[in-house]
Amino acid sequence: MNLSPDYLVTQIFNGLVNGGFYALLALGLSIIFGMLRIVNFAHGAMYMLGAFVAYYGAQLFHLPFFAALVVAPIVVGAFGFALETTLLRRLYDLDPLYNLLFTFAAVLVIEDGMKLAAGALGSPYATPALLDGATNLGFTIYPTYRLFVIGVCVLVCAAVYVVIERSPLGARIRAATEKPELTRAFGIDTRRLVSGTFAFGVALAGFAGVLAAPNTNVTPSMGDSIIINTFAIVVIGGLGSILGSVTAGFALGVIAAVGAVVYPPISNTLIFIVMVLVILFRPTGLFGTAERSA
Amino acid sequence: MTLALIRGRRGLAAGAVLLACGLVLPFVPGVYIVFAIDLVCFALVAVAFDMLLGFTGLLSFGHALFWGGAGYVATIVIANGITSFPLAVLAGVAYACVLSLVVGALAVRRSGIFFAMITLAIAQIQYFVVFQLTDVTGGENGLPITTRGTFFGLSLANDFVYYYIALGALVLGTAFAVRVVTSPFGAVLAAMRENETRAKSVGYDTDRFKLAAFVMSGTLAGFAGTLYTLGNRFAGQDGVDWHTSGAIVIMTILGGIGTIYGPIVGAALYQSLDFFVSKTAIGDKTNLVMGLIFAIVILAARRGIVGEILHRVFDRAPRLVEDEDRPDVLVPDVSHEAI
Amino acid sequence: MVKYMRLPTALAVAFALVTPAVLPASVAADSGPIKIAVITDMSGVYAALAGKNAVAAVQMAVDDFGGSVLGRKLEVDAIDHRNNGPEAAAKAREAYDGGAELALDMTNSATALAVGGVALEKHKLAIVTGGGSSAITGAACNKYMYHYAYDTYALASSTGRNIARGGGKTWYGIVPDYAFGKAMITDFTNAIKPEGGTFIHTDLIPLGNTDFSSYLLAAKNAHPQVLGVLNAGADTVNTMKQVKQFGLDKEMKIAVGLLFLTDVDALPDVFAGSRITTSWYWNQDKAARAWADRFTKVVGGGVRPTDIQAADYSATTQWLKAVKAVGSVDADKVQPYLDGKQFDDFYVHAGEWRARDHRVTHEMYVVDVLPKEQIKEPHAWFKLVQVIPPSRAFRPESQSICKKDW
Repeated sequence: MNLSPDYLVTQIFNGLVNGGFYALLALGLSIIFGMLRIVNFAHGAMYMLGAFVAYYGAQLFHLPFFAALVVAPIVVGAFGFALETTLLRRLYDLDPLYNLLFTFAAVLVIEDGMKLAAGALGSPYATPALLDGATNLGFTIYPTYRLFVIGVCVLVCAAVYVVIERSPLGARIRAATEKPELTRAFGIDTRRLVSGTFAFGVALAGFAGVLAAPNTNVTPSMGDSIIINTFAIVVIGGLGSILGSVTAGFALGVIAAVGAVVYPPISNTLIFIVMVLVILFRPTGLFGTAERSA
Repeated sequence: MTLALIRGRRGLAAGAVLLACGLVLPFVPGVYIVFAIDLVCFALVAVAFDMLLGFTGLLSFGHALFWGGAGYVATIVIANGITSFPLAVLAGVAYACVLSLVVGALAVRRSGIFFAMITLAIAQIQYFVVFQLTDVTGGENGLPITTRGTFFGLSLANDFVYYYIALGALVLGTAFAVRVVTSPFGAVLAAMRENETRAKSVGYDTDRFKLAAFVMSGTLAGFAGTLYTLGNRFAGQDGVDWHTSGAIVIMTILGGIGTIYGPIVGAALYQSLDFFVSKTAIGDKTNLVMGLIFAIVILAARRGIVGEILHRVFDRAPRLVEDEDRPDVLVPDVSHEAI
Repeated sequence: MVKYMRLPTALAVAFALVTPAVLPASVAADSGPIKIAVITDMSGVYAALAGKNAVAAVQMAVDDFGGSVLGRKLEVDAIDHRNNGPEAAAKAREAYDGGAELALDMTNSATALAVGGVALEKHKLAIVTGGGSSAITGAACNKYMYHYAYDTYALASSTGRNIARGGGKTWYGIVPDYAFGKAMITDFTNAIKPEGGTFIHTDLIPLGNTDFSSYLLAAKNAHPQVLGVLNAGADTVNTMKQVKQFGLDKEMKIAVGLLFLTDVDALPDVFAGSRITTSWYWNQDKAARAWADRFTKVVGGGVRPTDIQAADYSATTQWLKAVKAVGSVDADKVQPYLDGKQFDDFYVHAGEWRARDHRVTHEMYVVDVLPKEQIKEPHAWFKLVQVIPPSRAFRPESQSICKKDW
């Protein structure tokens, strides 16, 4: 088998693409968990909704891809905001497992609803013309769109990190997460922050969905397979840790991609095995902090 | 409140009513016998699940591990020529027992979300393995068998005979569950659920108790799973799919966690809705309907059907502690009669 | 005492609510209507391929036959198996017990195998059109089950041999690591060998994978003449989308193992240029087109039939003819009549109900999928490349592993 450096590096690029998606999704999930203590089972469904907003946008309004990258997160975020303020909020005083169960119910409703609207077969979505074709990177000729995905994922993750860890807004979000009553005593509207954070988290998922549409079959169940992997990544990185989610996302994407060609049978279970090991030996995850574990 | 249902004469009376319903079920017009068999099997797995969720407070999102896994093992035994029903069931149950021991040992060290995630992850690993071992499991085509095996010489081909055997198993399983939760062991579980730190400080090795409860739950779930696949003469991927794990959770909560009898009703309701809705004009929307019902139950009727009935009937006295003040306790009602 | 009974009564009421009391129509064995149970996927991934239009096709066949046979009315029941084996089996049992004499369609091999088992139990016929596993006429064969449309062996031998003969000697296989995939790679390997073809590499890809980039990159570097995309459903779509992204379709011939008209309808750009095998194409000749036009009028929406829907019509008609000839719906009488019978209709050319293993053999067609710009009318996606006679398309009798016990 060909194990030349060029080939390996190209496979690593493939891994970075997948890792980018994982990172975006894990990031959103982690932020939501860190802030709201909600394990959002519906995160995969939000990802799917983002892809469908892009699809319907293109079908009905000739919405171009780059516009969809902005519109879809807004739509999905708004939907998330509505869901949180009307329904999810009622479960906050209870055992956190209830939000897991509620979001699980939401998955059934959202996915089945979408299946009725769009059918279970795929819906077509083409790569945007500007990013079509391949780029010569020297060691390989690589699809341009995939390079774009890697770039965008890195940028967005970095931007989110900067906002949450370094900006005043981020400081408020972190304060509201760690000490809600004290933050409220300072006059900061934590309720709005909470809803806004949930909306932002699912907006990230919607954004990932748009990015995925040219690459992957756009179907109502496209979130199904990715949600469980995302959970595993978040646990590995550390629930509530942004750095952890992003790092674990990219890292596991690369490991899975390389593992896929070195020893395929294990590629689908690799993430879970790593997750179980992490839970056993480093329960708070690679970057998690002690008080944030469930 | 949870134990008020199953203790003493009330418990026996309630059980007797359910048993009576079970005895006449095959003769109710419109009920197809194999559907009744499936219903009884799901009722048993829901009871097993309730032991874990309602009484130990652990949410497993991977019970398909035991239900599906044991079901496959039993079917594989028969498919390979060992046409003995007891042996097949025993093999399945043994698999579930060992697996629950291993998984439990890994999982009980963590609680809450992590526990759910570990069970889900390991269930997924089993799912993928089932698909890959096509020579043994048939892969995605499933594993059909032509006989249910013989039960000490008696052929089980007659669906009605098989139904009553399954019903008997349900009765035994439920009696076992009741016995466990009303025993001193169950009392310790209740104590752990209320305040694990305090239980530990009194000297109980809580991890050991959780593991024991997990193994009991998993083994019983495996038993139910073998009855299901042998009843259908087919082991399919649906048994090991995480959506089935989710369905089991829904059934239990729908009926009422922490009531043992509640999940039986919940399973019956879920199966009925599922089977009969799938035949109507909205048949392609069953997930939607189930999801909506489940969401409503979580938001507004967390105690489930039987739980709500119990609450209305018994909980009129002012309570010392409302459940809103107890965010860590999954079971919405903790009976002051419990211990 | 009254207080004591309150709870159990409440429980009984709750339980009574959950058991529905719908009275079934009890059917006398010899005089009521004859029912045909179309057990198909009405709401999932195969709903377009078969689904309610398959039921419509069967109803068309019943209507064309006159609506009755042997003096008894014919009824078509649509049953949704929801891609669930046990559910298909349970509903099949219920259907047979309720007067169905034939179960038809079973799109999805797991449901086909499950229903086949029930057919054996109940001594009633089941004709599989949608499911494709060769096990239906192999390890799982039985007296009452027939395999009517396509199977994995036929797909492999037709597409494989055609491409290998045309110069595609070196193949790279994208194969899913489950029963279907393993069957496909075995059958394809055997099909291309006599023409000097080999698989230079195969990737057995586990279930749950949506990203094929690693494997496609490896394929690109291996420079085969043919890329064999031997997976199904969403996997095929994902693979093909990524094939286009990596530009592989410009470097090698793409053979897709399993594809249907409705898949191309949904995603035409993804599949353009691939070569596949089908059991029938609506525009392949005058007779096919005539039937397709009638079908389109019945179901509306300009929708064209898939080969599975045509197969359902054809199988129904052939069964009804057999029932009439034998003078009975008794499967034990119809089955010997069918075994060995040769026939032709708009769907089946040079057909035979092979007695050895209940494989219905007929011509198969290798076609290319046309890009959008080249089609002459809506849904006219296929261009005929080669007609494969039944003797070459299907597994030879001598190689059958069916343990025939009838």
